[in-house]
Amino acid sequence: MEEETEEESTLKTERKVKKAAQLLFFRRHRIPGVKGWELKKALGDDYMEVIGVLNSALDKLGMEVKRISEEGGIGEGGEEKTERDRFMIVLKNHLVEKASGERIDEVAMLSATLAYIISKQGKAPRKAIEEFLSDKFPKHRIFFALDRYIKQGYLGEDERVLYIGWRTRAEVDRKSLLDLILAS
Amino acid sequence: MKTDDLFRLINFCKTIQEEGTDPFDLDVKKFLETLKHYLKKWKRIDDLLLDAEAMSELAKIIELQGKWIRDRSSSFYIDPVLMELKLKMLEPVQLADAFFKSWHPIISMDRITAKRLKEGLDYWNALLPFSERKEEFPLPSTSETFTFDIADLIDLNILSRAEFEDSIKAVLNDLEERGRIEYHDFIYDDEYENSVEKAYLTSYLVSEGKAEFDIDPLEEEVFISPCNAKANTGDVRSIAISLSYEDWLRWKRKQKRNQR
Repeated sequence: MEEETEEESTLKTERKVKKAAQLLFFRRHRIPGVKGWELKKALGDDYMEVIGVLNSALDKLGMEVKRISEEGGIGEGGEEKTERDRFMIVLKNHLVEKASGERIDEVAMLSATLAYIISKQGKAPRKAIEEFLSDKFPKHRIFFALDRYIKQGYLGEDERVLYIGWRTRAEVDRKSLLDLILAS
Repeated sequence: MKTDDLFRLINFCKTIQEEGTDPFDLDVKKFLETLKHYLKKWKRIDDLLLDAEAMSELAKIIELQGKWIRDRSSSFYIDPVLMELKLKMLEPVQLADAFFKSWHPIISMDRITAKRLKEGLDYWNALLPFSERKEEFPLPSTSETFTFDIADLIDLNILSRAEFEDSIKAVLNDLEERGRIEYHDFIYDDEYENSVEKAYLTSYLVSEGKAEFDIDPLEEEVFISPCNAKANTGDVRSIAISLSYEDWLRWKRKQKRNQR
């Protein structure tokens, strides 16, 4: 069998990196990003190396590939687990300019809800959160806002208990949020 | 054999799990000693089942103790009371600012490709007409509940027509005196029951074209003002405006603050 030349190998890697970028930038499912097994299927067994090369290119643009485990937290671990994890591209540094159409009071509500839930070890009864928020916001707005955060993936709900959703795990640096709130 | 203390221990374990109290309130060593004490006396199958249940509950508490230690040793641990206090002290702008500074939004785009469009077209072509697929969308079952309208209340002698019309007139007079006003400021009264009654009567004024709503969707405010339109002219629209006891209490507190 003929050995692959260096040039061929570089071209192959470039092709794979482009494919990985397309897979990660463009939405294929309801939730953005792709699972490890999808990347493996599209890019081959060395998909983690391809992601590494893509990450170096994204770094120059202030972006990075983030790996989120289904169980919560930042993904790491064995190959089987890697295939179950979700990969998505996020901004590496926080935004300087406005990048959301949400009203300031709605972002405040989300921020307070997340901090409240994180301080309660990741979950809290919906009623307790509604009571807590009603100190500053009218109840009818709280109901709509919480439902919207659930729909957007920032929160999850199971039998009237709210927990941190997949989107918060992907987008929010929870430690930094708590530190900033405590330091305010 | 007396097994009261075993039942007590099992219930205590369940309380810890349900109420989320400190799992270290349970003395595991003492629990195991109690089980050991009973072990030699077990004779019947029920005794063994009770023993198994106690062990199972104890295992759950030990798992909770492990989680409790992990949580408190994690970098996310902050006293919830302190956090709640801090959150209550902060202004919405400060909270939003903290969120934006720790936010790394996902970059994702939605685009329809030519291939996807073709798939959509194929789906459309393969789809049977709606009239042939009716069984896929059965009509909802008829609700057994029914509503009372004003005529029913009059028939039941709960209200007389004159009384009802007088009440409507009083609300209309009030609205005319006050002019354009925020809806909740108009209907909320010193008593919550009166507020609900006023909201009910006001809905008649709007339906009859004697009052009109002006909704500001951005500020989420609803204003009401008197008007002289004919009832139900043009397009008929229903508007749901929430009314709650908690909201009324907040309104009352605000009124008191404003009076001071």
